[in-house]
Amino acid sequence: MLVKIEEIRKAFEKDISSVKDRASLEELRVKYLGRKGQISSAFTLMPQVPAEQRKSFGQGLNILKNRIEQQYQALKASFEETSRDTGRIDLSLPGRKGFVGRKHPLVAVADEIKDIFRGFGFTVEDGPEIETDFYNFEALNIPKTHPARDMQDTLYITEDVVLRTHTSPVQIRVMQRQKPPIRMIAPGRVYRRDTPDASHSPFFHQVEGLAVGKDVTFADLKGIIQAFAHRMFGKDINVRFRPSFFPFTEPSAEYDFSCVFCRGEGCRVCKHTGWMEISGAGMVHPNVFRAVGIDPEEYTGYAFGMGIDRIAMLKYGIDDIRLFFENDLRFLTQF
Amino acid sequence: MRITYSWLKDYIHFEENPFALADKLTNVGFEVEEIIPLVQPFRGVVVAKVEKVSKHPDADKLRVCKVSDGKESFQVICGAPNVAAGQYVPFAKVGAHLPGDFKIKKARIRGIESFGMICSKEELGLEKQSDGIWPFDEKYPLGADVYQLLAEKQDYIYDFFITPNRPDCLSAIGIAREIAAITGLPLRMPKVNLSSVVSNHSHPLPKVTIEDSDGCPRYSARIIRNVEIGPSPQWMQERLEACGIRPINNIVDITNYVLMEYGQPLHAFDLRQIKGGEIIVRSSRPNEKFITLDDKERILPESTVLICDRERAVAIGGIMGGQNSEVSSTTKDILLESAYFKPTRIAFSSKKLGLSSEASQRFERGVDPNGIMEASDRAAALMAELARGEIDQSVTDVYPVRIEPKSIRFRPERINRVLGSHIAEDKIVTLLEGLGLSIKGGFVTVPTFRVDLSQEIDLAEEVARLLNYANLPTHHSVQIRYDLEETSSDRLLAFLRDELIHLGLQEVFTNSMLKESEAELFQNGKNIRILNPISDDMTTMRPSLLPGLLKAVAYNVNRNMSDGRFFEIGRIFTNYQENELPQQPYALAVVITGRRYPESWNNPQEVVDFYDIKGYVENFLSKIFLDNFHFILYDKDSYMAKGETISIETGQHRIGLCGKISPEIVRFFDVNQDVYGFELNIDLLAGFLNQSRPYKPIARFPYSERDMALVVDQSVPAEEILSFIRRTGGKLLHFTDVFDVYEGDKIPAGKKSLAIRMRFQSMEKTLSDKEVDKIFHKIIKECGKQFQASLRK
Ligand SMILES: [Zn+2]
Repeated sequence: MLVKIEEIRKAFEKDISSVKDRASLEELRVKYLGRKGQISSAFTLMPQVPAEQRKSFGQGLNILKNRIEQQYQALKASFEETSRDTGRIDLSLPGRKGFVGRKHPLVAVADEIKDIFRGFGFTVEDGPEIETDFYNFEALNIPKTHPARDMQDTLYITEDVVLRTHTSPVQIRVMQRQKPPIRMIAPGRVYRRDTPDASHSPFFHQVEGLAVGKDVTFADLKGIIQAFAHRMFGKDINVRFRPSFFPFTEPSAEYDFSCVFCRGEGCRVCKHTGWMEISGAGMVHPNVFRAVGIDPEEYTGYAFGMGIDRIAMLKYGIDDIRLFFENDLRFLTQF
Repeated sequence: MRITYSWLKDYIHFEENPFALADKLTNVGFEVEEIIPLVQPFRGVVVAKVEKVSKHPDADKLRVCKVSDGKESFQVICGAPNVAAGQYVPFAKVGAHLPGDFKIKKARIRGIESFGMICSKEELGLEKQSDGIWPFDEKYPLGADVYQLLAEKQDYIYDFFITPNRPDCLSAIGIAREIAAITGLPLRMPKVNLSSVVSNHSHPLPKVTIEDSDGCPRYSARIIRNVEIGPSPQWMQERLEACGIRPINNIVDITNYVLMEYGQPLHAFDLRQIKGGEIIVRSSRPNEKFITLDDKERILPESTVLICDRERAVAIGGIMGGQNSEVSSTTKDILLESAYFKPTRIAFSSKKLGLSSEASQRFERGVDPNGIMEASDRAAALMAELARGEIDQSVTDVYPVRIEPKSIRFRPERINRVLGSHIAEDKIVTLLEGLGLSIKGGFVTVPTFRVDLSQEIDLAEEVARLLNYANLPTHHSVQIRYDLEETSSDRLLAFLRDELIHLGLQEVFTNSMLKESEAELFQNGKNIRILNPISDDMTTMRPSLLPGLLKAVAYNVNRNMSDGRFFEIGRIFTNYQENELPQQPYALAVVITGRRYPESWNNPQEVVDFYDIKGYVENFLSKIFLDNFHFILYDKDSYMAKGETISIETGQHRIGLCGKISPEIVRFFDVNQDVYGFELNIDLLAGFLNQSRPYKPIARFPYSERDMALVVDQSVPAEEILSFIRRTGGKLLHFTDVFDVYEGDKIPAGKKSLAIRMRFQSMEKTLSDKEVDKIFHKIIKECGKQFQASLRK
């Protein structure tokens, strides 16, 4: 007779799997749990069961009844739940939102650069954007005849006051104020007399770097630039240094990173060279040390520059610098 | 500067292919910006023989030709007059691809079919202009690919970026000298042997007087007689054209050729035009005029070096020759100048004149004062060889004070200290000697062509670049630096920025240079103007961030993005004083416009008003730990709207304004909706921030709440009542605020009803109703007296 219990169980499992709505659930209840349902009918068979099996038959039937009851209740509850939700609110409608604040992309990139250099033990320094000729040129060993001083390239306020053309004057201010050791970066806005186009803006943003100490070497400069490249763009980025010329450094270098788009394979953006020019660097020229009263025999130092706008353009694949300053919400809200 | 690869091979037998050599030169500091092949790629052009030429029946100037590539014959129409049977020619077949993206197709010309084209040099990109087709001098195999034939003799133009400190490398020999230093191969200078070409006749020496020895420390002149003026040979013209110099005639071309070869500018005068055959070098007089080679009359800046004859000026020294003495087709005798001019004098005059030439670019950076005779000899020899000139035996060379080679201290250990390297001393010596430097007793003698080497540190760069920067050590120093003090306000700015972003504001970056009319609207003092602005749109430094922000609003609103929540942090420029830098404090500004909530199905459709911007400023100030700030009504004429503006004050200082931007100003910026904003001076604000103030304990006992509705005159500010209540309520009153405002017909005209909620709480115990009511009734009574207020029933 225990076979009979197993038959009911199998039939129930089959029936419950095809229940789709409340009506068919009710049919299920009547079929198994109703007064004339399968379970009740099975109990009526009890007298025909042999006496020695009667106890286990009763127990088995009760267990099955409880199980069916549970499954029925669970399914009923779930039907009620769904009907209430779908019946009252549309969960797919957008949520209630306020305005979202965001950093300007150049700030995001500058923050990343500052984080990296603070991690290397650099401080962040600052200086005025309207500068004297002394800080912007003279103390940096840039002679009066240098083409950078031309009215064609530099914006002047008076003959002796300029809109700084680079962040290098901050080097001079910090060295005048502090004794070595110095390890600092100076991010900020700079100005050139350039007509705006896709790759030029009359104002843009640079980071200056400077380290001065008793044992600061060209090898340290190469190391810090390489470490920066890895942190900023990834460990597969190579760095290349080429000799160059700047009045305020000697030896001087241009440094390139392997192209961040093709990772050095060569592509359209890097004109198939695999390299992207980043900026200049070098060892602080003894004349610069002399201008701020640091003894070049005792101390050595390195300095480097980089363009925040340029790095942001590389990072996000932006091909027009003017986008940063147009402040189009469709652009700004992408960052 | 442009020089061809093959030209460099004249002086040194290197093995490197054009691309490898370019890399090596770039690595030692002579960046090859571009490598231009002389033969532009083309395909489908083969060697063919012209078999038959006949007249076109319908066109006088056209011929019908039969050409053969050895396998097949083609009928082709040709317009060139020089085509003839028997010629071997470059023949572009149908389908050929010529330089300039020119494809050859089958054509029908005046009724006759043409299958291809017989090419000129011009059509193959080999010269600028051709007179006819190009018949080969040699009988190349028929059917051979013409590009392959030419590519075997392919040459490349290097376009160098020469840094301004290396004028010695603005020449073929200068670059070759660097190749010698890298490769260790010997440099082979041009063989100049004048003994066989000097004239036997004896002539008087040209007389040279230097009056301006500051501007011209050395001047040499020599005479070459009976030259035959004509075009210079093809190879010389090709090299000059590759350098970007237009060939003129053999004499001028030779001076330019030697300029590009040695880096020494030369000038050839027509001796007949030099009055008295005499040269005087002097400074220009005030307002002196001169007509240069380019037929322009120029007023000379004072103290310009002038080359004169007995009567008049004949050249601007080191910059440009004169029209009155230039070499012409009738010139017979040449006076050849080779001189040294002082760099700063040339730079000054060239800049003032706005006149820059190949010569001035070299003189102003510095040529070799001791190399001028070598270049003069080379040019004279070429004039003898290529123009059949007879060279006078003697040369006048006025050089009163010899410029001696510099001597620089040399300490190998210092070089290693700067580079962080361990290069052996003998290696360093070898490298420096390879550059022509000589080393003795701790000093280096620098040849006079190296104007850039003047200090000990310069030697470190020479060693570093010759070894290649890539081969120098790279060091990652790990050193904790706790002793460095950060003095900038960078962290404060970052903190303020974060708080503004948390308020839901979008950061923008705007131009700090404004149109004068824009700046003036926000200026209290004197405008800070730019002497040489780029345009009228950028003449004045911003005295406020608001004009830039209004432009950002205008940009977006005019593109149908009318809901703006913007802020900017940046320097503003104020208080200009003569002979001092202007004050350039950091400021922050916020503007809001458009809807109160983003456009959405479940947000109310409301636009922002004064209380929105005030809410922003209150939330912001409460988050930045500003102590004791308060607002007062601001009712002066300004860029802010009267009656909707408050001043934010702390102590006796105004740190900014907040409210509605004046509608006229907003319209001036092309915005047609209300804009609210505030601006704060961060440098001022910074002094009042108290980021380390101690916390206040939290009351642990429940509070009791009392509400009242006070009817007062409309003119009484709510804040005055609230602060009076705070004072009156004492320390048990821990919160009070307005929760409703009513004006209307249920109360007398001219009155308003303020519903005020108060919460009373003690740090020590739960307050009884009796205790609370006592204070509450006192407040009601005192308010009644103070403000003639009554309770609303
Ligand atoms: Zn690439």
